Amino acid sequence: MVKAGIIKFLGTNCEQDTKHACDYLGWNSEYIWQNDIIKKKYDVIFLPGGFSYGDHISSGRIAKLTSAVKSLPIGKTLIVGICNGFQILTEAKLLSGALTYNENLHFISKITDLEFQGQIIKLPIAHHQGNYTGIGNEEIIMKYKNNENGSDDRIAGIYNRENKIIGMMPHPERAVFDELGLTDGRKVFEFIKNEI
Amino acid sequence: MNKYKAEVVVRLKSTIKDIKAETLKQAVNNIMTVKNLQCSVGNIYKLEFEADSKASAENIIHTISEEILSNSVIEEYEIKW
Repeated sequence: MVKAGIIKFLGTNCEQDTKHACDYLGWNSEYIWQNDIIKKKYDVIFLPGGFSYGDHISSGRIAKLTSAVKSLPIGKTLIVGICNGFQILTEAKLLSGALTYNENLHFISKITDLEFQGQIIKLPIAHHQGNYTGIGNEEIIMKYKNNENGSDDRIAGIYNRENKIIGMMPHPERAVFDELGLTDGRKVFEFIKNEI
Repeated sequence: MNKYKAEVVVRLKSTIKDIKAETLKQAVNNIMTVKNLQCSVGNIYKLEFEADSKASAENIIHTISEEILSNSVIEEYEIKW
């Protein structure tokens, strides 16, 4: 059984969605508090979406300084940053590049088409700073079909295989349950499981 | 211990598209005609603190600027004492 850790920061608001998605998939999951030093062994650690520290100064800027982020088992455990989690990982320089304000300066909240694993999937996006620039050696794993936020090369998700770190702006955890009308998030969780 | 005051100005690097500055330009153009208007948008942080020496104070302010106030991938900062 997959064992998942989900880090809660002050201002995180997608930890329950992520946990429900893990539970639905039959994974064993638990929360990790931001001030904890990560010592337990997990198969995957999620940095979920939300507004850590109220996005003060810049999204993810303060959360990168927490004990949980500083003790992430880099290269040993798969780490997945979703939305604000992706922002935290770039601010911590654990992934290349940066996420700046959307090109239209609006907060974008919608369901969008994405290119993922050779197919088009639908996932929700909800962010103000999702305009990605400055990719390094990471592999692009997800692209916006319509590039709503103006990211370089339509990038929506990247993967540093060497350090086992994934970052993505879309929310797969909000697209798992039939009741919500979207289930393509399961494909992303399946991908994550295969990369453990 | 000496007291120090510093202003840190953080703005986007010139290689990064300054979307807020573009919006500012459009807004200005909506109310008046200004020739060759150039804009850049950033943040100013004012800090006051105590340190043993100017060298120590500079070290403190550079650390704060690099670790918290700016992201070196897209931003640059300037310190005014």
